[in-house]
Amino acid sequence: MAAVTLKNVVKRFGVFEIVHGANIDVEDGEFVVFVGPSGCGKSTLLRMIAGLEDISGGEIAIGGKVVNNVEPADRGIAMVFQSYALYPHMSVEQNLSFGLRMNGNPKADTERRVKRASEILRIAELMKRRPRQLSGGQRQRVAIGRAIVREPQVFLFDEPLSNLDAELRVQMRVEISRLHKELGVTMIYVTHDQTEAMTLADRIVVLNAGNIEQIGAPLDLYDDPANRFVAGFVGSPKMNFLAAQVVGNDGNATLLELANHGGARLQKPLSGAPPAVGAEVVLGVRPEHFFEAGEGDCDIAVKADVAEHLGSVSYVYANAGAAPGANAGPEELIIEREASRQRATGDHMVVSIKAGQSLLFDKSGARIR
Amino acid sequence: MRYQNATAYRFLAPYLLIFSIFWLWPIINSFLISFQATRTVPWRFAPTFNWGRLIGDPAFFNALKNTLLILVIQVPVMITLAIVMAVLLNSPLLKARGLFRFAFFAPVVVGEVAYSAVFRLMFNLDYGIINKLLNSVGLPRIDWFSNVTPAMAVIMIAVTWRWAGYNAIILLAGLQSIPQDVYEAATLDRVSKLKQFFYITLPLLKPIIVFCAVLSIIGTMQLFTEPFLITERGGPGGGTETLGLLLYRQGFRSLNFGYASAIAYTMAGLAIAISLVQLWLTREPK
Amino acid sequence: MSSRSASSRSSSSRSSSRLGRSIALHLFLTPLALIWLFPLWMMVIFSTMPDRGIFSPSIELLPHGSFLDNVNNLQRDTNFIGAIGISVSVAVTYTFLSVLLTSMAGWALARYQFFGKGVVVAIILGTITLPYAVVLIPQFIMVARDFKLANTWVALIVPPLFNSLGVLFMRQSFSMMPGDLFDAARVEGVKEWRIFLFVALPLARPMLAALAIILFLASWNNYLWPLLINSKPGAMTAPVALGTLIGLTKVSWGGIMAGAVMLTVPMLVVFVLLQRHFVAGIAAGAIK
Repeated sequence: MAAVTLKNVVKRFGVFEIVHGANIDVEDGEFVVFVGPSGCGKSTLLRMIAGLEDISGGEIAIGGKVVNNVEPADRGIAMVFQSYALYPHMSVEQNLSFGLRMNGNPKADTERRVKRASEILRIAELMKRRPRQLSGGQRQRVAIGRAIVREPQVFLFDEPLSNLDAELRVQMRVEISRLHKELGVTMIYVTHDQTEAMTLADRIVVLNAGNIEQIGAPLDLYDDPANRFVAGFVGSPKMNFLAAQVVGNDGNATLLELANHGGARLQKPLSGAPPAVGAEVVLGVRPEHFFEAGEGDCDIAVKADVAEHLGSVSYVYANAGAAPGANAGPEELIIEREASRQRATGDHMVVSIKAGQSLLFDKSGARIR
Repeated sequence: MRYQNATAYRFLAPYLLIFSIFWLWPIINSFLISFQATRTVPWRFAPTFNWGRLIGDPAFFNALKNTLLILVIQVPVMITLAIVMAVLLNSPLLKARGLFRFAFFAPVVVGEVAYSAVFRLMFNLDYGIINKLLNSVGLPRIDWFSNVTPAMAVIMIAVTWRWAGYNAIILLAGLQSIPQDVYEAATLDRVSKLKQFFYITLPLLKPIIVFCAVLSIIGTMQLFTEPFLITERGGPGGGTETLGLLLYRQGFRSLNFGYASAIAYTMAGLAIAISLVQLWLTREPK
Repeated sequence: MSSRSASSRSSSSRSSSRLGRSIALHLFLTPLALIWLFPLWMMVIFSTMPDRGIFSPSIELLPHGSFLDNVNNLQRDTNFIGAIGISVSVAVTYTFLSVLLTSMAGWALARYQFFGKGVVVAIILGTITLPYAVVLIPQFIMVARDFKLANTWVALIVPPLFNSLGVLFMRQSFSMMPGDLFDAARVEGVKEWRIFLFVALPLARPMLAALAIILFLASWNNYLWPLLINSKPGAMTAPVALGTLIGLTKVSWGGIMAGAVMLTVPMLVVFVLLQRHFVAGIAAGAIK
């Protein structure tokens, strides 16, 4: 078992810098998820930890030892690939044992490790089959099994569930969580799916365009995002962003006017310095934080376009429309409602925002606390 | 990907070794030899000895003329034929596709010597099957090998027979890589099959057609076996002598390596010019 | 009612125009195919005819029974069976070595990033359009005079080992494979040459088959180089031995045709059995 430390890690392809100095401390035994949109550099970062990509700058240490110039095989890691990367011409058993056999590991030990992995993953009855005779979920188990066989200090997962259907994905997610508890080793997991990140991680690293936007526990990111990107990325459906303008400051609170809602105003208490009067800002409100009219601090009127009924809850897609004289374009809001209070399309509705359950961002996306 | 110089060159080493010894050095050496008088011992440097002779050598210009004549007639005919074969073999209406493919592709596996012998026999003046067939339909027989024009025709027919199918294979693969939905869209737009061929197939196939043409030109430019064996060392009277044959005669019959190297580099110059034309033809529009 | 008859009329006119086009297609292609098969057919017919039959005024389009006599005639004119033995051994050895060399080089170009890669690729592309004539003379001088290897197997096998289309084909094959597969082995500590041998090569089996067929055929039919370098009677390949007979006055043409058949028919059989690989190997040069 080992901690993984990234110090100012940079990756360049020619003149393009795609990771701009990443600092991450993964503790021993921790489950850390790298999440971000495609092209954010998360897979590159993982491949650099694995040793499959050169490190253009900075340092990566595994178990306290700098591994920049250490071969992948000697880093004490095992990796599970998005495509599973099973050798199509070998049986499951041969797939599991290939690496050990090639490195002259004693036969008895290889057999013991393969047996243990097959028991952990419950694939003992598949050992003689070829990968193409397996279902997607079974292939995934074999791919994980191949990692377990190595008895690594660190597991690396590169979008391992993205080729599975929705149901299987949930099942494998639970399976990987169980595996982490059972083995107790460090795991680093890359995904673009924030739900996977939220459900699996001890801590999440949110990446965007080669920068680390925030590192934190799932609920911390949800409740207290550092900026608009993280706020928008974490949570499903996404947080709503309402254009607003600062119209006054009063001690520890700032007074906002919502641009698209006919002059609706919200008094928002702040802990730090308030923005200047006249500044354009953005108010973030999660779908579940729209309350019934009058229950919050500021009521706004919207028109429901479409309603999605999921059974337990309903999501109303509402349009605020650009009000005359408004300084922002039309806004589409997603409002969560209890299933029993379904709305018909075309209804006008009034919802209410609470100052304490909304977040304020400046124009550049930075959080105003 | 990581930089792995040592590993990469270990895999490349045997290949690059063979390349250096048997290609790279000869390419340079051939150039050097072309500036030497090679029929004296030892060879001596004489920059204009071979190249000067080349410019004034009627045998060279005869071979150059014959080679270019074959190029200009045979390559376009063969490429057109290959396109026709490929398009028709690709037709969904075709029955017994396997038989037709066999008929056109089979010459690809036939060696130069074997088919040269057959063509020589088929076009024999007195007993060749071609003249017998001409006679049987009331046409006069032709003395194929005593006159330059029919002798050239036999060479071109033989080369076309041998290589049309080869080019058709490449073109057919190109046709099959054109997505079917392009044609479906054109059909819905009421574009006739013939117009589809000229406005969709040909433009999309152009890079491959050019590739085939360049390979064919470079192959034909070095034509050796057919005039060597079918028309008996470039006969009649040098009427079918090609650059390849002249090079063989100078280099390996007269052992005049310097002069043969100058001929070889003339061929290389032509090949480079043709490659440049190819690059120009297939350039991406700006 | 009227709309139904209109639609049935249009569909019947469509199918009749399809039929018309199909008939035209076959009417054009069938004679062309027969013309194309004709030389091969005549090769077989000639090989079964006695010499006096070949040189007689009658038109013979069907096989006779003199094939074995012709083989004997051929064997009397030149040691063709021995030459076939040399051709087979050389082609097999060449194919094995060349497949190994080109797939190793293709693997390096497909799967590694290294200094000078662009130069190597440019060289390979450049040699495709370079006339072989340019290397022929120095190659001959070097092998025959400097290495004193004329009339040996080495002379037939080694110089042709450089081959650019094969390397490009294997590079293409290896780079189409999912890279994760090799990374997975790398993470497991498998050495690069073992990844090549035990992961990459088994996955490339169909492409290796195509490559092997093309290379075997090239060696089997190679004429100019063997003609120059192995011209001594006991060292000739089969095409060279056969070529020496063409143009001689007192020679059995039935025998020459029997030799042509022995060179060609085995390849035709291989072609029919492995047409898919053949076509893939030839087409690979142009289609990316």
